[in-house]
Amino acid sequence: MVLRVGCAFFLLAVVMSGCVRGPLAWQRFTLNQPISERDVAFIVDGTTRLPEVLDRLGSPDDIQSVGRWIIARYHFSDGRYFRADYGWGLRFVIPYSSPDLVMGGGGFGTDIFQVTCDAQWVVQDHAFAWHANSSEFRLWPFGEDQQQ
Amino acid sequence: MKPLWIVLLIVLSLSPGCAFIRGTYGEEVNQGDVAAIKKGATRTEVATILGAPDRIVEANGHEVHHYYRFDVKSGYILFFSRTNVKSEDVFVIFDQAGLVEEVLVGRKKPPLEFQFWPFDWPFDS
Repeated sequence: MVLRVGCAFFLLAVVMSGCVRGPLAWQRFTLNQPISERDVAFIVDGTTRLPEVLDRLGSPDDIQSVGRWIIARYHFSDGRYFRADYGWGLRFVIPYSSPDLVMGGGGFGTDIFQVTCDAQWVVQDHAFAWHANSSEFRLWPFGEDQQQ
Repeated sequence: MKPLWIVLLIVLSLSPGCAFIRGTYGEEVNQGDVAAIKKGATRTEVATILGAPDRIVEANGHEVHHYYRFDVKSGYILFFSRTNVKSEDVFVIFDQAGLVEEVLVGRKKPPLEFQFWPFDWPFDS
């Protein structure tokens, strides 16, 4: 019975479009799927051609020219954000005013996989840049990161 | 039973509800259209099939026509939301004579999922 009522209320909560924003929110944003070292193990610099890379990994989202080299880049972005409105409950104490007391934070990072080709589309080098791990839910916005 | 109703009422009042949102940017490039572009085709022939490119860049003496599309799916349930974006890109590269040298289109990316759970745990390793 409890489970049934619980499920019914959960469904009601899910379909209900509330008039107020909740006191808590965890939000996540991703752009494209990450590419791992294993996914690119087949690339042999000086031999593999860019069309072969595309067959395995999909098309890049950016192509640039630097000097005589052509650089194809894949981006994967990951962002996380948390917010808590500690003043949310005051609306029940002070009905005519509901001041916000919001704390929280997040981060956003982008992994990049880049392939450098010559004019014949032969891969000359490839490399990763890892930044997506910099995204995190921050429960406390104050203080500095402990980095060395 | 009464405490259960009170608890559920509190949960409901805390809940901001739910939302599922879908958005796209740009035209989807049909795989058949891409296959119809052969090496040696002219700019006009490419434009007839794919339309005007979203972006044109110059790379090492080559003219690169970039066609792109973004697909967004966003889910919001209770306190949790997740937004996933997928980009689809096609590059048509012309040689210095203005003829197609390469069409760069990779394998189709997997379909985008509607998700609302923002954490890696417990689904991802």
